[in-house]
Amino acid sequence: MRIRGKNWSTPALVYLAAALIMAYASFRLPQLLPGDFVTAMYAGSDVTLNAEQAAELRAFYQDTQGFPGYLRNLATLDWGYSHAFMAPVSQLFLQALPWTLLLMGTAHVLSTLLGFVLGVEAAWRRGSLMEKAGVGIMTVLEGVPEICSGVLLLLVFALSLGWFPAAGAQMAYADHTFGQWIADVLHHLALPLATLFLAYLPGNFLLARAGMVMVLERFFVVAARAKGLPPLRIRYAHAARNALLPMVTRFGLRFAFMITGALVVETIFSYPGLGTLLFNAIALRDLPLVQGIVLFSSIMVLVINLGMEYAYNLLDPRVGHAS
Amino acid sequence: MTTQIKDLTVSYQDHDHALLALDRLDLVLQPGKITALVGESGSGKTTLGKALMGILPENARAEGSISLGSAQILGLDEPSMNQLRWSQVAMVFQNGAASLNPVHCLIDQVAEPLVQKGIVRTKAMTAARDLLGRMGIDADQAGRYPHELSGGQVQRGLLAMSLILDPPVLVLDEPTAALDAMTKLFIAQVIRDLKSAGKTILLITHDLDLARNLADAIAVLYLGRIMEYLPGTDLVDRPCHPYTLALVRAFPFMDGMRDLGGIRGDAFYRMVHAHARENGRTHAHVHVAAPDAVHQGGHAPPQGCLFQPRCTQAVAACSIGDIDFTPCDTHQVRCIRGGIARILSFEKVAKSFGRVKALAPTDLTLMAGEVFCLVGETGSGKSTLAAIAAGAVVPDQGRRIFQDRDMDTWMKTDFASLAPKIGMIYQNPAESVSHRFTVFDIVAEPLRIQKPVPDPETMRARVLAALADVRLSTAPEFLKRYPHELNMGAIQRVCIARALVHAPDLLIADEPTSALDPSVQAKVLKMLLGLQIEKGLTLLFVTHDVGLARKVADRIGVMARGTIMETGPAARIINHPKQTCTKMLINSARGMSSQSLASIPDYEKENICRF
Amino acid sequence: MPIICWIHGWAMHLDAGRHIGKDSWLVTGISILLFLGFLAAAGPFLVPHDPYDISFSPLRPPSADHWLGTNDGGMDILSELVFSLRNTVIFGVTAGTAGLVLGVVTGLFSAWAGGWTDQVVMRLADIVLAIPSVMVLILVAAFFQPSPVVLALVLAGLAWPTTARGVRAQALALKNSLHIKAAQRMGGSGRYIIARHLMPELFPLYLINFAAKTRMAVFMEASLAFLGLFDPGEKSLGLMISYALQYYYLDIWSNWLMPPIMLLSLLIMGTTFVTISLEKMFDPRLRKTV
Repeated sequence: MRIRGKNWSTPALVYLAAALIMAYASFRLPQLLPGDFVTAMYAGSDVTLNAEQAAELRAFYQDTQGFPGYLRNLATLDWGYSHAFMAPVSQLFLQALPWTLLLMGTAHVLSTLLGFVLGVEAAWRRGSLMEKAGVGIMTVLEGVPEICSGVLLLLVFALSLGWFPAAGAQMAYADHTFGQWIADVLHHLALPLATLFLAYLPGNFLLARAGMVMVLERFFVVAARAKGLPPLRIRYAHAARNALLPMVTRFGLRFAFMITGALVVETIFSYPGLGTLLFNAIALRDLPLVQGIVLFSSIMVLVINLGMEYAYNLLDPRVGHAS
Repeated sequence: MTTQIKDLTVSYQDHDHALLALDRLDLVLQPGKITALVGESGSGKTTLGKALMGILPENARAEGSISLGSAQILGLDEPSMNQLRWSQVAMVFQNGAASLNPVHCLIDQVAEPLVQKGIVRTKAMTAARDLLGRMGIDADQAGRYPHELSGGQVQRGLLAMSLILDPPVLVLDEPTAALDAMTKLFIAQVIRDLKSAGKTILLITHDLDLARNLADAIAVLYLGRIMEYLPGTDLVDRPCHPYTLALVRAFPFMDGMRDLGGIRGDAFYRMVHAHARENGRTHAHVHVAAPDAVHQGGHAPPQGCLFQPRCTQAVAACSIGDIDFTPCDTHQVRCIRGGIARILSFEKVAKSFGRVKALAPTDLTLMAGEVFCLVGETGSGKSTLAAIAAGAVVPDQGRRIFQDRDMDTWMKTDFASLAPKIGMIYQNPAESVSHRFTVFDIVAEPLRIQKPVPDPETMRARVLAALADVRLSTAPEFLKRYPHELNMGAIQRVCIARALVHAPDLLIADEPTSALDPSVQAKVLKMLLGLQIEKGLTLLFVTHDVGLARKVADRIGVMARGTIMETGPAARIINHPKQTCTKMLINSARGMSSQSLASIPDYEKENICRF
Repeated sequence: MPIICWIHGWAMHLDAGRHIGKDSWLVTGISILLFLGFLAAAGPFLVPHDPYDISFSPLRPPSADHWLGTNDGGMDILSELVFSLRNTVIFGVTAGTAGLVLGVVTGLFSAWAGGWTDQVVMRLADIVLAIPSVMVLILVAAFFQPSPVVLALVLAGLAWPTTARGVRAQALALKNSLHIKAAQRMGGSGRYIIARHLMPELFPLYLINFAAKTRMAVFMEASLAFLGLFDPGEKSLGLMISYALQYYYLDIWSNWLMPPIMLLSLLIMGTTFVTISLEKMFDPRLRKTV
C-alpha cells in the first residue's frame, strides 16, 4: 500500500509476523517443558496447585483450542492466572504498566530532547572546548551501564544521604491531596528517572552530534545562510531537521538496551512497574506471569518500533523512492 | 545603486600556506546592466560571488573593499550583513539541488525569506507561488521535494527563490550549466527580463555563448586577476587579450568554424607562502604552483604577467613588474603589449614579375597567435604574398613590418636574426628537400646555416625534439633515411620539423597538404594545428580549398585579382560573405549539388573576379 | 586457508594502524580490555581460594587472607569476582563471535545468491530484528534455565540481522567491482572469490560488529543475572551485585558491592570505547571531526 509514494504495508506485515511468532512461541513453550507442563511450570516455586487450578491452567494452554483460541484469549485479556500472586495475569500487568510507562516514557522523552539539543549545539560549536568536553563526558557515561549507575545513585542519594526514597512509587497508605500525591510520586520517581536519563542521554547526544556534523558539511546549510535567515533557524529548521533522521533510524537498534536497562532499574529501586513484577515472578518461579509480561511487553515494543518506522517515513521525503 | 569592488584580495588559509583566489580585483557592476565574469575553474569566479554575499568560508581572508551602494560589505558584522543578504543582494548557486534542503518542499524554501522578514505566511505562499509560476513551475511541482524535481525545474526554482525579496543586485553562478538547450533559452530570456526590470546582474559563467548574448560587459578572469574588460558583443569578433582569444577558440560556438583548440601549458593555483626574513618580518610571496607541489623556500618569486608562460606573444618584458590596465579600442586589457599584438603588417605591398602583375597594392595584418588563411583561386596572388611575408621575395613597393620592426631594413642589416623567426612549409614536400640529405640533415640544416652553429650534442637534441614534435621516429635508423624512402606525408612532416627547429614565431604554410592524400592530409593538418597551439605560433596558411580554410582558420582573407577582397573572422566570412567574389567562391565550394550549373553566374558577364 | 585470508586482510589494514595509535579512546579501550581479558583468563588460576568454598565465616570484612572479605554464603569475594568476570567475558565473547559468524555467513550467502533467496533471507532478517531479543532471552532463561553458553548462542541467533545487513550491503557493492569480475573471468570459483576477495574487504565490518555485539551481550548478561534468570550456581557480576544489594544496610558497599560494579563498568566502558572508536575510524566522514 502506498500513500504519497511510500510503502506503509511492508513494515506492518513484518512486525505482525514477528508478533505472531512471539505469540506462538509463548503458546508452545510450556509444552516444551520436560514432563507434565502443569507441574513443571511451578516446579521451582513454593506454590502447589490443587486439581481445579491445575485443570484451569491446562485448559488455558489446551491444545484442542489451538493457537487461534489462544489468540482469542489474549485479545480478550484472558491471559491466565498467577497462582503465586493469586490474581489474573492481566490485572497484575495492567496495574504495573502505568508506572513503567511513566518512568520509561519520561526518561525517554527528556533524554531525547536534551540529548538532541545538546548534540546539535555541540556540533555547531565543533572544535570548541565545550564540544570536546561534552563528547568526552558522554562517551564515558555511555560506558556506565544502568546497573552500576542505579546502584550508585541508590547508595549515595537514598541510603546514605536519604534525600530520596529507596523504594516504591508512592508512599503507601498515605492520605494525600492530589497535589501532594503528585509531589510524592515525583519524589519517588526522581532517582530511577535520573538513572535511566543518564543511561539514555549519551547515546542520543552522540548520535545527534554525529548526524549534525555530517549535515553541517552539506552545501544547503551555506545556501541557507546566504538567504539571510537567522542563525537559530538555520541550525534547527534546516540542519538539525536533517540530523534527526539518523537518530530515528538507529532507534530500533538501541531499544534492546533500553528495555533491559529499564527492567534492571525498576528492580534496583523496587519501583512497582513491570520490571519489578517480572523480577518477583522469576524469583517465585511463576511462569505464567513471566510469560504474560514478556509477551505483552514484546507486543508493546513491536508497536512502538512500527510507529518509529512510520515516523521515519514521514520525516524523510526521500524514503520509498529507493527500494 | 552601483556595486563597486576595489582592490579585493581573497585567500584561503590551509595550515602553512594559502591559496590565492582573487588578487587586487577591481570591478564595477553598472546598475541595470549585466556584467559577465568568465574564466576557467580555479580563476576565482565563485569566490567573488560568495564575497558579495558575505558567505566566504571560515578559512578565507579578504582584504579590500566591496560596496553595495553605500554599504561596505567587507568587515561588516554578521547581523548587519544578514539584513543585507537576500534583500539587497541574492545569489543563485552553482550546485543547483545541493543548495536546497532535502526535507523541505520547494515552495516552502522559496517563501521562507519572506516569512522570516515578517510577512504573513499565507501572503508569502501566494507570492512564492506567483513567482514560481512566472518561472514556469506550476503549483503541483512547487509542492514537491528537491529530489523529485528535474535539473531545469530546480534551476528555475532557485531563480524564483533568489527573486523573492526583489533584490536590486543578483549574482548568478553558472545558471545554465548542465541544462538542456530549451531550458537555457528560457533562463536566458528570464535574465534579459530581469535586466529590463532594472536589476544589476553579475553573471558568473564559463559558457561564452551565454555571456556573449546576454552581457553588456564581460570581465575575463585568469588566476584571480582580470585580464580583459570588454563589451559583450566584442567577445568573439574582437578579443584584445591573448587569453580571451584562446578562450574563444576553445569554446564550441554553434556558428564557430575552426576546430576546438586548447591553451598550451596548464593552469595551476596561486599559492601564498609566508617566510620569516632575517629582521623577523614575514614576507609573503606569491607563485603559481600545483596545489600539491612541495615548496622550496627561498627562491625569488616570478613577477609580471600571470599568463606569460602560456601566452603566444610573450616577450622578455612580460616577466617584470606588475601590469596595469591599458585601453585597447573600447576594451581594457592587462597586457604589457597593449593586447594582442600584430606580428606582421603589410601596407600597400605590390609586386610584379615583368609584365605580370602578381600582386596589386595590398594590406595585410596578422595578429600574434592566430591562424590566418589566405584563400583564393590559382593566380590570385596568394603565393606571392606568402613569399613576401617569408622574406623570400622583395616587394616593389609598400611597407612591411614584422614584430614592430621594418622588415626591409632588418633584412638588409641583420638577416641572420630575422630568418629563424619565420619558418616556411612548401606545397611540394619532395621538392623542397634535397635528395642527398638524410632526414637528420634536412632537419638540422637551418641550425647549420645560422651562426653560431651549435655543438653536435645540442644540435642532435634539437633535431630529435623537433622530430618528436611531429611524431616521427627518433631512432637512428630513421635518421639515416633518405627522402625517396619515405612517403609524402612523412616527408612533409620532416619539412615541418625543419621549419620548427628554430622555434619560429611565424609559420607560413603554402598549400602544405594539397599534394597529399586526404587521409594523410587530415593527420598532418591535425598535427600542425596541435603544434600551433602548443608552441604558440602564428600560422599563415595559404590554400585554395575553402572547406579546408573553414576548418583551420581563425581569420580568413579572400584573395582575387592580386588583392585581398575581404578579411574577417572565419565564421563571418563563411556564413555572411559581403563581397560577391567571396560569395561565389564559397558557393562553388559548397558543391555542385547545391546549385545547378545554369544558375552559376556567367563569368564572362560578371568579370569582377576574373584573374 | 580462511585463516590465511583473515591474516592477509588484517595485514592490509595495518595502514589503518597509523590512526589507531592516535585515537586515545581506542587505546584506552583496548588497554582496559586487555587488562580485563588477562584477569579473566589468568585470574582463576591466581586466586587463593575456590569461589564455591563456603567454609569461611560469612560477611567478613577485608583481611590478609580474603582481600575483599567474604559474602553472605561465606565465599571469598575476590575469587568470586574473578570467576564472575570470566563467565561474563565468556558469555560476551561467545555471543559476539557466534553472532558475527552467523551474520557474516548469512549476509555473504544472501548477497552472493541474489534474487529470490536474497529477498527471503532479508525478510527473515527483518522479522528476527523486530523480535525484542531480551524478551526472548528472558523467556528461554525462565523456562529452561540453560547454561550461559547456550543462552549466549540464543542471543547470537537473535542478533545476527544487523551484521548480516551490513555485510550484505557491502558484498553487493563489491560483487560488481572490476577485480572480482576479472577473477571470475579467469575461472575463479565462488568459494575462491568469496574467500580471497570479498572476506578481506569486509574486515572493518568484522571488527565493528564484533565489538558492538560483545558489548550488548555483556550488558545483557549482567542485567539478566541481576534479575535472577541464571542458575544461582553460575557466578556472575550481575548476580553478585544483586546479592550484595540486599545487604546494603551492612557496611559492605566498599568490598562487596563496589568491586563488581567497578569491574562491570570497566568492561562495558572498554567495549564502548572500542566500538565508538572503530565506527569513527572506519567512517571517513566522521574521522576528521574529533
